[in-house]
Amino acid sequence: MLERSHIQSTGFRNFGPENARAGFEVRIRQANYRSSRLSLIEGVDITVDGILYPAENNLFRLGEHEYTHAELDDATETRLYVGDYFTVVVPKPGGLARGVHLVGSAIRYRHPYFPPEFQPVIVRNERHATIIMP
Amino acid sequence: MVASFRYGVSLYSYTDDFGTVMTLDDAFEHVADTGSTGVEILGETTVPLYPEPPAAWMDHWFAQLDRYKLEPTNFACWVDTRIQIGRNMSVEEGAAQIEQDLRLAHKLGFRFIRPKFGVIDHELTPDPIWEGAVERNLDLAAQLDLVILPEIHSPTPIRHPVTEAYVNFIERTGTKNFGLMIDTGIFQDRPIHKWGGGETEEIKKGALSFLNGIKVPVEHLEDVIQYVPFIQAKFHDIDENLHDHQIPWERIVPMLKKLGYSGYLSSEYEGARDPWVAIEQVRRQHALIRMLEDEYDAANAETAHA
Repeated sequence: MLERSHIQSTGFRNFGPENARAGFEVRIRQANYRSSRLSLIEGVDITVDGILYPAENNLFRLGEHEYTHAELDDATETRLYVGDYFTVVVPKPGGLARGVHLVGSAIRYRHPYFPPEFQPVIVRNERHATIIMP
Repeated sequence: MVASFRYGVSLYSYTDDFGTVMTLDDAFEHVADTGSTGVEILGETTVPLYPEPPAAWMDHWFAQLDRYKLEPTNFACWVDTRIQIGRNMSVEEGAAQIEQDLRLAHKLGFRFIRPKFGVIDHELTPDPIWEGAVERNLDLAAQLDLVILPEIHSPTPIRHPVTEAYVNFIERTGTKNFGLMIDTGIFQDRPIHKWGGGETEEIKKGALSFLNGIKVPVEHLEDVIQYVPFIQAKFHDIDENLHDHQIPWERIVPMLKKLGYSGYLSSEYEGARDPWVAIEQVRRQHALIRMLEDEYDAANAETAHA
């Protein structure tokens, strides 16, 4: 089972070759009470230690498949299930330093049954998480 | 003899627990131990690989229903009208969504489906495709013995064009396979301190009427009760003295009894989302409503014998 916080401890890591990291990844559980068509997720902003990494530049990975911000809108028949997680892939040359970071996520959900003035609904989470391998 | 309520629980109550600290098997145990006879699910949430659950899961579903002596009541589903940023669903797409949910709900043994339509304004007026999408499925619903129930949900009251449009539809088509689901959140008459429906700062600032309660008089139930076969018993906080801080059960229960309501009251807890809190909150609600029902029945029996 997953941790209660949206942001998961496991899965917070750098990616790319050692000594030349291309960026980092953040694992986030489905934070909605129902499964979402990916087209209803308008992207995920990430912050680390106060620096914003906006949704438009990040990739969204579900299972083995990676979606660009624009591709999410076309994924009307793919679902992010409750009890499952996705990974936000954030480009950042050099990656993050080893140690504990303050990580924030802001998922932009479009709930068609919410009034138009609440579109999208921004669901936020923040916690400490640890990079082990620089 | 006064009609009795049927008691059930919606697994929506266990939001955030489900998938982090609670399995479906755990949920069955908690629901059954309240003395409930019915279980309500959220299709996309509860059914793995919705809309095509594995056969082994289906077998387990029926085995658990049998083990815990529970019947499937309502299957909650969604018609995501604003399916893409720049595109709304057509009537055909809406009809296909409802057909898919009717067929899956039938396979799992349900009697009702609740499609939640996308809305076009702050009064929760459903996207106009609802009518065509539902009408195309009335024959199928009849064939599968299911009733399609949109919910009357705060901030939409009973006396409102949205509700009237649904009633007009029933009267125009003469259908027995479409009705109204009342969400008891419409009777809320005190503010919510901890909303478990996905509270954000923007919603706290922008949806005050909703969070403060729209205070529908319980007497308005009389207008529509003939079309209401199912009630979602929404609540947010019941304390250790069985006092509900938002929903006036002491007025709702006697009114439903007076109107002869004998359908389900399906608990829908929507309060603080700390782990496991929902399990105890649901139990308190069942104790509270059963106490009020018993009091009504006792008073009614005395009157009958006087």
